[in-house]
Amino acid sequence: MKIKIDGRRFSAKEGETILNVAKRNKIYIPTLCYHPDLKPQGRCRVCLVEVDGKLVTSCNTKVMDNMEIFTNTKRVKEARKLNIELIYNNHSGEKELEFSVVAKELGIKKSRFEKPKKEIKSPMERDNMKCLLCGRCVQVCGAIQSINNIEFTDRGISTRISTPYDISIKDSACTFCGQCALYCPGNAIRERAYNEKVVRSLMEEMNKIINKKKFIIAQTAPAVRASLGEMFGMKPGTLVTGKMVTALRKLGFDKVFDTDFGADLTIMEEANEFVGRMKEKKNLPLITSCCPAWIKFAEQTFPFLLKNISTCKSPHQMLGAIAKTYYAQKLKLKPKDLMIVSIMPCIAKKFEAQRPEMKISGCNDVDVVLTTREIGRIIKKEKINFTDLRDGEFDDPLGISSGGGAIFGVTGGVMEAALRVAYEILTGKRLKEIDFNQVRGFEGIREADIKIDNKIIKVGVVHGLGNIRKFIESDRWKKYHFIEMMACPGGCIGGGGQPRPTTNEIRKKRMEALYRQDKKMKIRMSNKNPAIKKLYLEFLGEPLGEMSKKLLHTKYKKRKVKYT
Amino acid sequence: MQILRKSNWEGFKKITKMKRKEIINKVKESGLKGRSGSNFLTGLKWELIGKGTRYLICNADEGEPGTFKDKFILENNPQLMIEGIAIASYAMDIHSAFIYLRGEYSYLKPKLEKIIKQSEIYLKKIKLNIEIVPGAGSYLCGEETAILESIEGNRPIVRRKPPYPSESGLNSNPTCINNVETLANIPLIFLGEWDNNLQLFSLSGDLKKPGIYEIELGTKLEHIISCGKPKKELKAVYFGGSGGCLPYEKFKNLRVDEKTISGKGAVLGARSLIAVGKDRNIVDISKTISEFFVHESCGYCTPCREGNFRVLELLDKIKDRKARIIDVKLLEKLAYHISDTSYCALGVSSTTHLKCALKYFKDEFRV
Repeated sequence: MKIKIDGRRFSAKEGETILNVAKRNKIYIPTLCYHPDLKPQGRCRVCLVEVDGKLVTSCNTKVMDNMEIFTNTKRVKEARKLNIELIYNNHSGEKELEFSVVAKELGIKKSRFEKPKKEIKSPMERDNMKCLLCGRCVQVCGAIQSINNIEFTDRGISTRISTPYDISIKDSACTFCGQCALYCPGNAIRERAYNEKVVRSLMEEMNKIINKKKFIIAQTAPAVRASLGEMFGMKPGTLVTGKMVTALRKLGFDKVFDTDFGADLTIMEEANEFVGRMKEKKNLPLITSCCPAWIKFAEQTFPFLLKNISTCKSPHQMLGAIAKTYYAQKLKLKPKDLMIVSIMPCIAKKFEAQRPEMKISGCNDVDVVLTTREIGRIIKKEKINFTDLRDGEFDDPLGISSGGGAIFGVTGGVMEAALRVAYEILTGKRLKEIDFNQVRGFEGIREADIKIDNKIIKVGVVHGLGNIRKFIESDRWKKYHFIEMMACPGGCIGGGGQPRPTTNEIRKKRMEALYRQDKKMKIRMSNKNPAIKKLYLEFLGEPLGEMSKKLLHTKYKKRKVKYT
Repeated sequence: MQILRKSNWEGFKKITKMKRKEIINKVKESGLKGRSGSNFLTGLKWELIGKGTRYLICNADEGEPGTFKDKFILENNPQLMIEGIAIASYAMDIHSAFIYLRGEYSYLKPKLEKIIKQSEIYLKKIKLNIEIVPGAGSYLCGEETAILESIEGNRPIVRRKPPYPSESGLNSNPTCINNVETLANIPLIFLGEWDNNLQLFSLSGDLKKPGIYEIELGTKLEHIISCGKPKKELKAVYFGGSGGCLPYEKFKNLRVDEKTISGKGAVLGARSLIAVGKDRNIVDISKTISEFFVHESCGYCTPCREGNFRVLELLDKIKDRKARIIDVKLLEKLAYHISDTSYCALGVSSTTHLKCALKYFKDEFRV
């Protein structure tokens, strides 16, 4: 079908929206509540265009044959501006936010409506004064993640987003996956546990030369290196491992370790756990445990699955536990003298780090969890010129890792890394074909039959809580031997603590970056990691041994929450 | 009054001998249009209903300021409406009908239930089940697609059309939604001696005898208003909260129907006329109506939610004589902006009152 935009002719497909056609042809239309991963709603009324003398929202108006569209008449421009102006007072002034960018593009620096809106109270950990009521978070929590924990409540100017009956978020069904925060264009929903004060005292402690009480260690998750660059204007999919390490050293961390090491350790334990369960034919399928949002979801909604979930702690908890024991012994320090700061793409990790089970000799395995966004903001605040930094290297010994650890950050990665090791344990032979392409991809639910030693191992990979719910409720899970579950779409690279904006396109680019890293590495299997071998030799003994069970494994319990 | 005629299921008895198509054609030929103010040809609406399991909804969620004609029917001749529901259901092969009853009218629920029970013999004949659903309480719940959301148990948010309810309505099934007055007129069509032009007017305001009057469409404004016996000299007539206003003296000889009224910039809607005396201030009235919309906006889209709030802020300023010329200009801009860019028809009409006020009574918006 043929349409006209601003006098120029374009061809369009039936069912396409005006915005789609315009975007494809690089015609600028500003948007706010629109997000490529979500259903268009037409709430914010910013993407207006003129058709037939009427103003319509281009995000949810479909093209019709011979439609004539105007995107930049005076009337259109003024109406867009006024709608931005009407919500401008809710805006926090932070420059990088999507809302700030749109406002700037439309040339709005202040609003003619001075008095701020009346205050709205809500128990949610969010700032209603900054909320633009675009509804992205509601859609992501409901339609994509299937939790439905937040909705619009009240009406008119008192409209706000809240939990069922305004209950406190900690009592609610929130899994802390943080997708709502990831999609927020105005920073109204955000990571909650570690506020500025904690970060400031951490920075102060790091900057002390004399009287320093703690030995502070940073560890970075696999997915952070594939996305942190975006905070500094770099292209999605740029790997910034070296710059990230240097930046963290500059901030004052005494050592910078790699959670990839923890991931390798997880694989050693989990692959052996899997082989054990296969031999005993007990508690199958084995379900992965490294995603804390998935764990909370299972505890509150599917408690009957808890016996199937691997008892392994997640990689950063494992690394924390090893650092506070094995590494502390080397330094002749006590566990409490160490402070472990995890830099994670995740908000649920903050919750996980505070779980009472995650302790060794009275100390938390991990003391502070910061998201990719938080560390990016701190680096900016400290005026470190990130893009010009030289590449640094992780510290020994907990900074040495394999390709198997690297791909933990993407959906299917844990599965692949575990299969690589399980193959060698089960067959006793060397694995020749290292890539398990069958489990890679972006589809919500993927499955594959892996042949090892004439045995068929049925594996499933699921990402996104909505897909997980569908997967479990359909009873499909019963036919597998091994299942990987990740709460966030795309796995950790699409985690709730990642830089904004995140779209499925950007997720795919970050994903490619991690696979690229894996391909380049000399050691690609967790069991070949020399530091891991040494750790078992010197300290742990063997996988699933007494020491491992004490430090690296945990348990789960049924959790009661209101209104699941 | 025509609408108070007792039919005693005579109309129904006639239609059960007719073919479905004949019934629909007869309704179409009668020229009956939706009496909620939409003015859509009722017979055509029935004809357009899609295939599959279908539903009928009687919209009894009358929430427009100054409108109380449906209440009049529900109180005084509800049996006629039930009969209308039965005829409509039979004509469209519907076996499940709902009466979406405004929350404030819930005192009428026992009465309606009693009539439904008494009518069982007729309803059983066409296997029709009528259920009364209490309204969820907001102004928006009177909009047909918001009713669908409300009955489904969701927040009443207006749906985007297409798809129209006639193809995908309640639970995604074809659904016909008709107003109380529309349905009450259906049996009368089949009884004969029925005048489509005789319609209900809700008169209120500065009148000695406010109330419901059955008046012929096309009657002079002055004659309509005189039914209610004005208390004093009138300045303006408001057409509900969302229909805007017209100066009384200037237009008292206007023959009232939807075309003549919209020709002057107002909207006749559900024929609710609120008389405003000369001693009243238009800014005060604008403020009252504006407060109503600030309270009733569902909050879905920016212009209606934020815009109406700012409109009220500006009107406050003008009333307190703290406004400057740019404030009045901004008010005018907002009035047009909100109706230009809002998501649903209710948002679009939320500033008609202001546009009319600024058109005809600009001098009262002094700074």
